[in-house]
Amino acid sequence: MITVILDDMLHARRKTLTELAEEVGITLANLSILKTGKARAIRFSTLDAICAALDCQPGDILRYEPGARSGESAAAD
Amino acid sequence: MSRSYPASLPIAYVVLRLLIVANIALAVAIAALLLVLPHEAWILQSLDLEPGPKADRIIAGMRAIAVIGIVGCALNHLILKRLVRIVETVRQGDPFLPVNARRIHQIAWALLSLQLLGIGVAVIVRLINSKEHPIDIDSSASIAGWIAVLFAFILARVFAEGSAMRDDLRGTI
Repeated sequence: MITVILDDMLHARRKTLTELAEEVGITLANLSILKTGKARAIRFSTLDAICAALDCQPGDILRYEPGARSGESAAAD
Repeated sequence: MSRSYPASLPIAYVVLRLLIVANIALAVAIAALLLVLPHEAWILQSLDLEPGPKADRIIAGMRAIAVIGIVGCALNHLILKRLVRIVETVRQGDPFLPVNARRIHQIAWALLSLQLLGIGVAVIVRLINSKEHPIDIDSSASIAGWIAVLFAFILARVFAEGSAMRDDLRGTI
């Protein structure tokens, strides 16, 4: 499962989730979906915007964990 | 999500509603005919038939066609109601749903059944038709009908794939 870890980078960059959502250009709801692992996929454009906003690499905010597949909980909704 | 859609959609919605009413009226008319058919003296007189095996065969054939007609109306009702539901999902802005794929699949089977019923009517008409007493009933079986069956099965598959793609897109940020 791919998880999006934003908390550490947000803390390091002194930003809130709301501010990040505004900079990236997606809704807070969608950013929360990403953060809670309910997204099925992320566009490169979104990943690009997040990395630009947080001044980081994709590997800094993406982590792979063996087990359930990404977005499966969303698929079960 | 609201968006503008072509005028054909509300027109289709109204036409479908009218067709549902017309189809029900047709079914009622055919059922009334079935009630009349047992009064064979009236039928014999109107068809200029003499009582006998030939007349019995013709009346039995007409009864069978009437029953097939009612079954056909039931299938028409299924198709029209499914189409109305599909149009409603288009109006709501989200037609690519698994339920629509199932509806179109059901429509495809109903269209196939109508084609087969048409063959049945054609066979019965052929059996009871004669030069002395020609029976002019359109079986409605046609190449276009078979193409429509294939089209509906293919469209059901398209909607199934489309709804899966839509589902994936919904979870994409």
